[in-house]
Amino acid sequence: MAELFQALSQRPNFVVFVILFLWGIYIMAAHPNYVKKLIGLYIVQTSVLFFLVAFSAKDDATVPIVSGEMALLDAAAYANPLPHVLTVTAIVVQVATLGVSLALVSGIYRKYGSLDEDEVVKKAE
Amino acid sequence: MSSQLPIFLFLVPFVTAVAMPIVCTKRRSWCRPLTTGAVSVMVILAIINLRVILSEGSIEYAFGGWAAPLGIAWLVDPLAAVMALAMSAISLLSLIYGRTVMTSRLEKSVQYYTLVLLFIAALVGIIFAADLFNIFVFLEVSALTSYALVGAGGGKSLVYAFRYLLLGSFGATLYLLGVSYLYAATGTLNMPDLATRVPELITSTAVVGGLIFVFLGLSIKMALVPLHGWLPGAYANAPNPVAPLLASTATKVALLAWVRIETSLIAPGLEVSHISVLVLLEDIGVLAAIVGGALALVQTDIKRMFAYGGISHIGLILIGVSLGNPTALAGGLFYLINDAVMQATLFMIAGAVFHYHGAQTLNDLKGVSKRSPWLTGALVVAAVSMVGLPPTGGFFGKWNIVLGALEAQHYIAVFAVLASTLLTLGYFLKLFSCWFHQPVTIRSEPFDVTVPLRISLGIASGALIGLGLISDSIVRILRESLASGGL
Repeated sequence: MAELFQALSQRPNFVVFVILFLWGIYIMAAHPNYVKKLIGLYIVQTSVLFFLVAFSAKDDATVPIVSGEMALLDAAAYANPLPHVLTVTAIVVQVATLGVSLALVSGIYRKYGSLDEDEVVKKAE
Repeated sequence: MSSQLPIFLFLVPFVTAVAMPIVCTKRRSWCRPLTTGAVSVMVILAIINLRVILSEGSIEYAFGGWAAPLGIAWLVDPLAAVMALAMSAISLLSLIYGRTVMTSRLEKSVQYYTLVLLFIAALVGIIFAADLFNIFVFLEVSALTSYALVGAGGGKSLVYAFRYLLLGSFGATLYLLGVSYLYAATGTLNMPDLATRVPELITSTAVVGGLIFVFLGLSIKMALVPLHGWLPGAYANAPNPVAPLLASTATKVALLAWVRIETSLIAPGLEVSHISVLVLLEDIGVLAAIVGGALALVQTDIKRMFAYGGISHIGLILIGVSLGNPTALAGGLFYLINDAVMQATLFMIAGAVFHYHGAQTLNDLKGVSKRSPWLTGALVVAAVSMVGLPPTGGFFGKWNIVLGALEAQHYIAVFAVLASTLLTLGYFLKLFSCWFHQPVTIRSEPFDVTVPLRISLGIASGALIGLGLISDSIVRILRESLASGGL
C-alpha cells in the first residue's frame, strides 16, 4: 500500500487525469440536465488531452525546430512534437462535437421546452 | 496515375461536399443530382481501384511523399479495395432509394446532402487508413455527421441523436485514450510499425490497457452487446432516406477498423494473465449474437427489430474474425459485406412500408403483401439471406465461420451461429405472419412503387443472391489478402 501511494505521489499528473476522467463520467451519468451532461463529456475529453500532454512533457528539452546541420542531433534535447499535434487535432474534434451537441440540445429545447432528460423523454414517448 | 486512385476515392465525395454549399445554395434542385453523380463516380473509381489492386498488388499510399512511419500512410490492400467498393455501392443504392421517401424539407436542404457526402468520404478514410490516429479522425467525422443526420428528422429523433452523441463521443474518447497509451508505450501510430513492436511489449500493462481501451471505444461505435444501447433508438428514428445508409455502414466500418487492429496486433494464441485474448473476444461475439437475436425477437417495432438483427450479426462477424484461422476470418469479413447489404435492404423496406402504408409496428403491416409485390419479393430475399439459406451470400458467410469454428474446435461458436440462425428465423416468422396476414379492411389497392425504389430494391436483392454466387472468389480474395501478410 505504501508503495502504491509513493508511486502515485510521484505521478501527480496521472492522478489528476484519473480524477478528471472519473468525475466527467459521473457528471455524464448522474445529471439529468442535457447541458450538464455535455459539460461532463467535455471534462472527460479534456482529461484525455491532459493525459496526452502530461506524458509528453520532457525536462530540459527545447522546441523541435532544427536550424542548420541535421546530421548530429541529440534527440533527448528536443520535445516530441507528435503528442501536441495529436492534442491540437483532438481539440478540433472536441470543438466540432460541442458544436453538433449544442445544436441538438437547442433543437430539443425548442421542441420540448425543457432541458431535463426525464421530462423530455416523457414528452417524447 | 493508378497509384493516386485511393486518394481520389476520398476526394471526390469530400470536395463535392465542400463545394455543395457554394454551388447549390441558390439552386436547391441541383443537390440530389450532384450528390448522386459524385457517388456514381466513386463507385466507378472503386471498381477500377479493385482491378488495379488485384492485378498489381497492394499500394501503400504515403501522403506528401513522406513514407511511414514518419508520415501518414494509407494501406490499400485487396481487403480495403473490396470494402471500399461495397461501401460506395451501398451508398449509391441508398441515395437512389432516398428519393422515394424524401420529405420536402430535407430535399431542399443543402446541409443534408453535404452531411451525407462527408459521411461517405469518412467511410473511405476509415477503410484505407493504416494509422491509429487517422482512424480516430475519420471515425469522428463519420460519427459527427451521423449524429447530425439522425437528428435531421427533428422531434423525437433529436433526443435519440443526443443519446447517440453522448455515447459515441465517449467511445471516441476511450479510443483516443487507448491510442495514447499505445503511443506512449511504443512511440508509433502506424499499424504495420506497431505490429512489429507490440508483440515484444505485450506483457506491458500500458499496451494491454491501450488495446482494451481501443476495443471498448470501438465496441461502442460498432454497437457490440452490451454497449449497443444507442443503436436501436437512433436508427429507428433516423429520417427514412438516410436510415439504410447509416444502418448498413457506420457500425460495419468501426468493426472493420477493429479487425485491422486485431489481425495486426494480436497474435493467435496470445494470452494475457492466462486468458486467451481471441477466445475472450469470441465469447463476447457469442454473447452479442445470441442476445441481439433474442432482443430482436421481442420487438414490435419493425425498424427496431431490424436494428437488433444487425446487432446480433455484429456478434457473428466478431466470432468469425476472432477464431484465429483464415477460413473463419475470411468468412467473417465476407459476412460483413453481406450484412451491410442486408441491413440496407431491410431498412429500405421498412422506410418504404412506412412511407406508403404508414406502418411502424408489426400490427400495422397487415395486408402489405397484397399491396406491393416488389416489397414482398425484396423482403423474402433479404429474409432468406438473413436466415442464411444456400443461394444467398448470408449462407456462405455463416458456412465459412462454422467451418473455421470446427477447424479450431470451438463448438460454442458453432452453437452461437446456429442459435442466432434460429432466432433470426423466429423473428422473420413473426414478421411474415403479420406481413402476409389477410386484412379485413378494404385498404387493398396496390400502391404505386416508384421506379427508383424498384431499381434500388432490385439491385439490393440481386446483390444478395449475386454475392452468394460469387462468394468463392470474394472469399479467396479476402483469404489471400490476409495471408499475404497485409493487415
